[in-house]
Amino acid sequence: MRIEEHPILDFDRGEKITFFYNGQEVEGYTNETIVAALHAAGVRKLGASPELHRPRGLFCAIGNCSSCFMTVDDEPNVRVCVVKCKQGMRVEEQNGRGVVRV
Amino acid sequence: MKKAYDIIIVGGGIVGCSIAFEMAKRGHSNILLIERGYLSGGATGRCGAGIRQQWGSVLNATLAVESTHIFENLEEYTGYKGNCGLNQAGYLLIACTEKEWDQFQKNLEVQHQLGVDSYPVDLEKDVYKYVPFINTDGIYGATFCQKDGHADPFHCTFAYAYGARQLGVDILTYTEVLSLKAEGGKIKGVSTTKGDFEAPMVINCANAWAPGLAAQVGDEIPVFPERHQALVTEPVAPMGPNGPMPMVMSFHRKFYVQQSPHGSFIMGIAETEPVSFNIRSSWQFLEECCGVICDTLPALRGLRVVRQWAGLYDMSPDRNPIIEFSKNAEGLITICGFSGHGFMVAPRTAILVAKHLCNEQDDLDIKRFSADRYRTGELLLEPSVV
Repeated sequence: MRIEEHPILDFDRGEKITFFYNGQEVEGYTNETIVAALHAAGVRKLGASPELHRPRGLFCAIGNCSSCFMTVDDEPNVRVCVVKCKQGMRVEEQNGRGVVRV
Repeated sequence: MKKAYDIIIVGGGIVGCSIAFEMAKRGHSNILLIERGYLSGGATGRCGAGIRQQWGSVLNATLAVESTHIFENLEEYTGYKGNCGLNQAGYLLIACTEKEWDQFQKNLEVQHQLGVDSYPVDLEKDVYKYVPFINTDGIYGATFCQKDGHADPFHCTFAYAYGARQLGVDILTYTEVLSLKAEGGKIKGVSTTKGDFEAPMVINCANAWAPGLAAQVGDEIPVFPERHQALVTEPVAPMGPNGPMPMVMSFHRKFYVQQSPHGSFIMGIAETEPVSFNIRSSWQFLEECCGVICDTLPALRGLRVVRQWAGLYDMSPDRNPIIEFSKNAEGLITICGFSGHGFMVAPRTAILVAKHLCNEQDDLDIKRFSADRYRTGELLLEPSVV
């Protein structure tokens, strides 16, 4: 779901692109954050907590907390609430701590 | 609260707390420990908390080996219910010059005499088994010891404090010792922000502040404060072969870096610092430390730094501790000058002091640690310190 019209805000969504969420193709817009695209696609669970592996979702949505950490193009701990979508990027869920690719 | 004790200990870091515990364990529990802030709030809580047995002198290796045995069972030893966080992921020491590598060979001999399971690591084949992503450019050789590692400096201090309290030691935090009271060449007690306390023995474990206190009775302890900084990164999945990455340390490049069981990397470098009580953080450290460490361990490049802090090393002229029995005020003992490796040798040093005070036999001679060694020239030389 996306808000199409708003009495105050304008939406300049940019270009429509596709990227991969856990290997699955998802649509997004270049001026939207990754999490906005995922949310619009119905994804609520973004990862799992490190100790008890409980579901983690969007929390602060402004890049302050660590709730939305995901692995983007092999880079762990990306705050997907403040990073914009790119064509073909691979966004993956993290089960606990992010893994640094060596 | 009592006003008179048998012993007053100044300083609630690992040194003060371990001495309180070791004395109480030997039946002398009429002790007051006074700490200016909170327990482990000074150098102990700010340190890298590495525990290393790969030393180059028999003395330091002995202190470290026997301390490690205590760290391995510290919870049981003190009755503490928490977890002291000992993680024996090992230490990979790297040599960057031929001379340093020759020294490492000598160090290994010393370590093997004391039963330390340390060994050289083949840079071509084996080093990747310990640190899979190390950049070996400019590295001449490396040695490894699995039993080295690190512990949680807060919990270790709390463990000793807990054990001491259980045995009857009084601990007074947020209380500053303002002055020492001495009369007729004997120590009488201390004056603090919460009143005066009397004792015929005062053990001064106030780290970099210890010389200032000792100077009040005319003791000259040649120890000076030096800022050392450290930083910690965001946590990531374990990057070692079977868990957290081992400590990687270089004397030549002057850095250490380790991964905590929690997943964060704790690292520091030795900088050229003026003598000062300054413990502010600097951007120069941030830049230099990250640069040096990412050269050796490029995989850490993308990690975010979450916190940076500084603490004081209590530097002595030969980079080894001083245990000084005052000649101006009998009953005053000053213990300081650990020069950045106090945490890892504190358990054995506390036993050394407690055994001496209780007239027990000890294989180590406490007199070697006297500040007199700077006059007589019998220095405690150590080839391997950062």
